[in-house]
Amino acid sequence: MREAFSNALVRLAIADSKVLLLTGDHGYSLFDEFRKSCPDQYINVGIAEQNMVGMAAGLARVGFRPFVYGLAAFIPIRTVEQIKLDIAHDDLPVVLLGDGAGFVYSHLGTSHQSTEDIACTRAIPRLQVLSPADRFEMTAAMDYAYATVGPVYLRMGKADLGDVHTEPIHSLQPGRLLKIRDGRCDRPGLISTGSMLRAALDIAISLDLMLWSAPMLKPLDVDDVRAAVQATNGLVTLEEHSMLGGLGAAISEITSEHQPTRVLRIGVPDRFSEHCGTHAYLLREHGLDIDSVRDRVGAFCQMLASNSIALA
Amino acid sequence: MTSAISESSITPFDPARMRRTVLEMAYAGSTVHIACAFSIIELLTVLYRHHLRYPGNDPRAEGRDYLVLSKGHGVMAQYACMHELGWLEDSHIQNYFKDGTDLKGLSDSRVAGLEVTSGSLGHGFSVGVGIALGLKRKGTDQKVFAIVGDGELNEGPIWEGALVAAHHRLNNLMLIVDKNGFQAMGTTDDVLALGDLQAKFSSFGFETLEVDGHDEAAIDAAIRQLWDTCPTKPKALLARTVKGKGVSFMEAVNLWHYTRLDPQSFAEAVRELGFTAVSK
Repeated sequence: MREAFSNALVRLAIADSKVLLLTGDHGYSLFDEFRKSCPDQYINVGIAEQNMVGMAAGLARVGFRPFVYGLAAFIPIRTVEQIKLDIAHDDLPVVLLGDGAGFVYSHLGTSHQSTEDIACTRAIPRLQVLSPADRFEMTAAMDYAYATVGPVYLRMGKADLGDVHTEPIHSLQPGRLLKIRDGRCDRPGLISTGSMLRAALDIAISLDLMLWSAPMLKPLDVDDVRAAVQATNGLVTLEEHSMLGGLGAAISEITSEHQPTRVLRIGVPDRFSEHCGTHAYLLREHGLDIDSVRDRVGAFCQMLASNSIALA
Repeated sequence: MTSAISESSITPFDPARMRRTVLEMAYAGSTVHIACAFSIIELLTVLYRHHLRYPGNDPRAEGRDYLVLSKGHGVMAQYACMHELGWLEDSHIQNYFKDGTDLKGLSDSRVAGLEVTSGSLGHGFSVGVGIALGLKRKGTDQKVFAIVGDGELNEGPIWEGALVAAHHRLNNLMLIVDKNGFQAMGTTDDVLALGDLQAKFSSFGFETLEVDGHDEAAIDAAIRQLWDTCPTKPKALLARTVKGKGVSFMEAVNLWHYTRLDPQSFAEAVRELGFTAVSK
């Protein structure tokens, strides 16, 4: 997935000399190919993210297409105000790349973890929010971000979990869900994004659930969400992000207004990580390991089934 | 379109007339930050009169120079210049802060002529650094002037941007510090002492000059000298100014960061500027 990211960035930069990569002294090996292929378009502006985002706004103002790279804990979180005021307010074509979102830096602690970035960016007007799940979604997301010619936040989470899609995605459409698998209509449908999509697929297979990927969290297509509700008897959302303000919130905002249904939101509880450990360990700490999630989804299936029996 | 300089008998960007424009706006809108605008009037006079290039008098001309007002609180002074240029009409001045109008109390780049959205401090300079870097990459001779307040120098991104400007040898960038010695809650010395700014910016790699920020000839000479010397460095012009300059009861009285005009203080201020008739 990271290779797909690098390949897309190099391809876009070779095709358009206005594409610039700005980094706050992060991404050493990730940008080997970029630095080799497009050395003049690579700018390491130092460990100064706030200035970097402001600079990107200035570069965009005079016709460049900056891609601003940092860890999600810094881009966007440290620089939310610069993103809001310098970039989004003025509708500038800057792509913000937040790497290591969620618990990728599990051993390093809260400073490098990011479970609030979707919530913060979704509320900024004009800013679109992408969250690709595998290498195919990543390639499509990078192309979408470049073609948007406006402010985009692209969230990159745990990237070595393997593919979900089986072939390249032709192109992302604004806010559209991608159907991953069919399943039983008398059970809840599953919608996931980013790093949790792989686990979502395993759970969907084991419980025979419909599954959609949400590679884009803003905008989010109302009709696609309504269709998912109509095709199932409830929804489960699954994300490596706070339960507050992320995918679950975005889906619930739509269902509550347009197509009411029961929604089980599974994400990071409203708390910081307490302990050190592997990525898998931290997912367990937050109840996001596959066994815990499958148990919760299974219980939700039973609850919906018994409700429908009671209603009948 | 009405504009002051379309009347051929008058000198464009006359400081007293621009201060009167600021007073008229502030009075019409019952708003604050008058003193913040008054300290940069002569700086803007010199920049607009002698330095800033706007091909076709177009505020959005692609080949223009960039005036980045990082201290957005001084925006009424820039509105006064835009009025002189004919970019704003008399009605813009008279209807300041009326419901549904476009001119805000802080710089908003959606207004043609304002380059950045600022007021949250420490933003505009970084944007200016990016603009300067972009213009250099394009190989143009366009220049970027970024006006920051001395209080604004409390903000960290200013110093991040200063490092970058020197590192990338942005010799098309001039930082202008409005050194009026005050910030919102007191003097800069009392709130957060800035020390020797000339030494600081020189050590950051800027070609630096200090000047009386109300002496038009001295400002003009200093700007020319900065552009002409040390071609590899970004420039810093430290302008010693008086907050509230031009109206005796506002000068160096920090209350005029916040105070609104009443009919009496408005009339008195206009009279001090040498105008008898109050246009309304």
